Amino acid sequence: MEEKFEPKIAAFVCNWCTYTGADLAGTSRLKQEANARLIRVPCTGRIDPVFIIKAFENGADGVLISGCHPGDCHYNAGNFHARRRWILFKNLLDFIGIDSSRLYFSWVSASEGKKWVDIVDGVIDAVRIKGPFKQYKKMNKEIEIPVAVEEGVSVK
Amino acid sequence: MEELIISNDNLKKIVHELLNNDCRVIGTTAENKFKEIESADELVLNPGSVPTGSSFKEYFFPKTEPLFFYKQNHSNVDLFDPIPDKSKIVVLGAKPCDAAALPIISKVFNWDYKDDLFNSRLDNSLIIGMSCHYSDEFCFCNDIGGSPENMKGSDVFLKPLADNYFKVTSITPKGEAFIKEYQKYFEKDLGKNKPIERKVENPKHFDYDKVKTWLDNNFENKFWDTAGEMCLGCAQCAFVCPTCHCFDIIDEQNGSCAGRRAKNWDACQFSLFTKHASGHNPRDNQEKRYRQRISHKFKYYMDKFDEVLCTGCGRCSRGCPVSLDILQVVEEINSLPENSNSIQ
Amino acid sequence: MNELKQICKDALTEKKARFIIGYKEDKNKRVKPFIAKTPEDAEKLTFSHHAVNNLAVYLSRFKNNIDGKIGIVVKSCDLKAVTALIQENQIKRDDLFIIGVNCSGVVLDVAKEFNKDNTQIKCKYCQAKTPPYYDALAEESKEFEMPDDDQAELMAKIDKMTAEERLEFWNAEFEKCIKCYACRQVCPMCYCEKCIVEKSEPQWIDSSSTSRGNFSWNIIRAFHQAGRCIGCHECERACPMGIPLTLLTRKMGMVAFSEFGYRHGTSLTEPTLIGTYSTSDKEDFIK
Ligand code: SF4
Ligand code: SF4
Ligand code: SF4
Ligand code: SF4
Ligand code: SF4
Repeated sequence: MEEKFEPKIAAFVCNWCTYTGADLAGTSRLKQEANARLIRVPCTGRIDPVFIIKAFENGADGVLISGCHPGDCHYNAGNFHARRRWILFKNLLDFIGIDSSRLYFSWVSASEGKKWVDIVDGVIDAVRIKGPFKQYKKMNKEIEIPVAVEEGVSVK
Repeated sequence: MEELIISNDNLKKIVHELLNNDCRVIGTTAENKFKEIESADELVLNPGSVPTGSSFKEYFFPKTEPLFFYKQNHSNVDLFDPIPDKSKIVVLGAKPCDAAALPIISKVFNWDYKDDLFNSRLDNSLIIGMSCHYSDEFCFCNDIGGSPENMKGSDVFLKPLADNYFKVTSITPKGEAFIKEYQKYFEKDLGKNKPIERKVENPKHFDYDKVKTWLDNNFENKFWDTAGEMCLGCAQCAFVCPTCHCFDIIDEQNGSCAGRRAKNWDACQFSLFTKHASGHNPRDNQEKRYRQRISHKFKYYMDKFDEVLCTGCGRCSRGCPVSLDILQVVEEINSLPENSNSIQ
Repeated sequence: MNELKQICKDALTEKKARFIIGYKEDKNKRVKPFIAKTPEDAEKLTFSHHAVNNLAVYLSRFKNNIDGKIGIVVKSCDLKAVTALIQENQIKRDDLFIIGVNCSGVVLDVAKEFNKDNTQIKCKYCQAKTPPYYDALAEESKEFEMPDDDQAELMAKIDKMTAEERLEFWNAEFEKCIKCYACRQVCPMCYCEKCIVEKSEPQWIDSSSTSRGNFSWNIIRAFHQAGRCIGCHECERACPMGIPLTLLTRKMGMVAFSEFGYRHGTSLTEPTLIGTYSTSDKEDFIK
């Protein structure tokens, strides 16, 4: 019997808009699926692509990045800078052959609780269909405890 | 003991058998690289080829290897040993400057702590060396006690003969056992196949004792300010070197509650190599780091282990992106007055 | 040739430069980086098809400890690195005495003669053999036969592959990496005092050369060079494992141009690609 695959989604959201929007979704008691782990950062401009890599390394099947709408950035231009970086990064992933369609971007403002729920649910559904991110998980092979070693020594 | 020879074809048949017996065979390929070969046909033994770009040390001292794995188990941590690598390793066609490196680095791996990982691989190995018919402006094995016919580090040694034959010498009991095991492939040397002459000469470049004496007395010499001036600190030299053996130990996470501790190559040409937790770095510029490289190779290791930490293969110089040539640096030291502090 | 020596000698005598980073030939006829500090040293300076190094890599190291100008011998491709460093505020134009050389191609394999089959990849698509600006210019400009740009062909081939094939291709390449970071050390644009691989709290990039560590290193290096790489091909030349690193950085340069019309190292005043933005950057991928 195969277990139903539940994707792990890492969501990097900015403090000022999307996080507050997600909060609003909560206080408004909107229902959403629980597969996304939110990681709050000051601004989308703070999101180094290495965060995305790190998320995939640690088992994320999809990554969602969300911040203030263009023009609404708390720091004026953080999201504009971020947008440029994403364009480059997506192109790089494509050229290397990493499935960049597991990376999702959105603008969600503090008042868009409903939009947040729709986006998160949409991403979770899409990744559920794609299945686990095997391509990346394979790269952990040397770091995983070898299957042949069964017994460990327990220490406090 | 009777003199033996073997044909290239029979050698390949042995390789074939070794592979069938789950042996890891490391040999040189058509691209002149050391590689774990999958079929005997990949093997190309050419005494006249330049030393490979990288040495074969990674089969004994891998670029990264786990020391143990860990996993959180409630309030305890479970530790797991890595699967020991018990397979037999046969290295075929090692040049004298490659083979000689193993006994040299073995000393540091068996000094205060016996490195089981290294030792078990070395114990499970057989090194088949081969005399070298190559020499270029970077080679200097003969200046530091080696030679193109040097058998140090080899268990069995091959010398090329006419018509694709090799003269076989066994050097260690391991080598003897190997020849015995595969004796049907060896033939008696009837002197029919003439030895192939070595057409190149290795000139003498420096006097090691003189260089050592200079190094003993000139740690603060002005020479060091310019010797490593152009070095970029890329450490390509250390990573391709058969005798460089520095490593770093780090912990690495896999998810949130598991991971491994690993041993990775490191090198003194990196600025981080000597950086203290306080932020202080005793070797705070590349010139000092380059002095360390030369001094470790030609002085400290000799002081401690009675060996030169170099076999003269010239790899480091061939590959250096700024053509910093270790031989030329040592030659320059050789030409300096014994205590040249006065000329500062 | 004598022209170069003369220019450098004069510059050092007249103190137009404190020292000059150039090339010399060693006794084995290898051309290598060299610093001329006195007018006599200038006699040793040379330039040839074998002057492959991009000397701009030394600027970041030496910029802090001199009063006076640094002299540097540059080919047109190397000058792009100098320009980029000025653009990125790493050094000031006024602190440099630039000795441009007309270049007629450099070798791929330094042990062999220069010819059509022994030409650096970058020379195969080099646009300007004469540096666009300089304080002094040396060497005659000579025509040379530019071989086919086989890297562009390979790049097009990779573009046509499926994502799985591409990943397989790159995994096979990254697998070889031994994490020596030679690619970083030779790169004039890798001047960070603390590289991201050296940041250990948290350890952003594994220092082990495992599949995971090699992959994240190579991908982040390429990203940090996206739109910043000036195409000197030093990384690829230095890589002891022969990984085709410039395929990635060149590709990113092409993306920077197609997406933003930007080429790094071509203007002293234009803001850098990542240092700025446009409100009209595309966002069709953002919901
Ligand atoms: S390979 Fe050359 S530049 Fe790199 S660290 Fe060694 S000596 Fe220095
Ligand atoms: S220091 Fe250079 S010449 Fe000596 S063993 Fe190492 S790579 Fe070979
Ligand atoms: S030369 Fe440097 S890297 Fe090589 S063994 Fe010595 S200290 Fe280590
Ligand atoms: S990434 Fe490579 S090609 Fe680009 S600037 Fe750096 S060394 Fe030159
Ligand atoms: S130079 Fe090559 S082997 Fe060394 S770190 Fe860079 S990619 Fe890896």
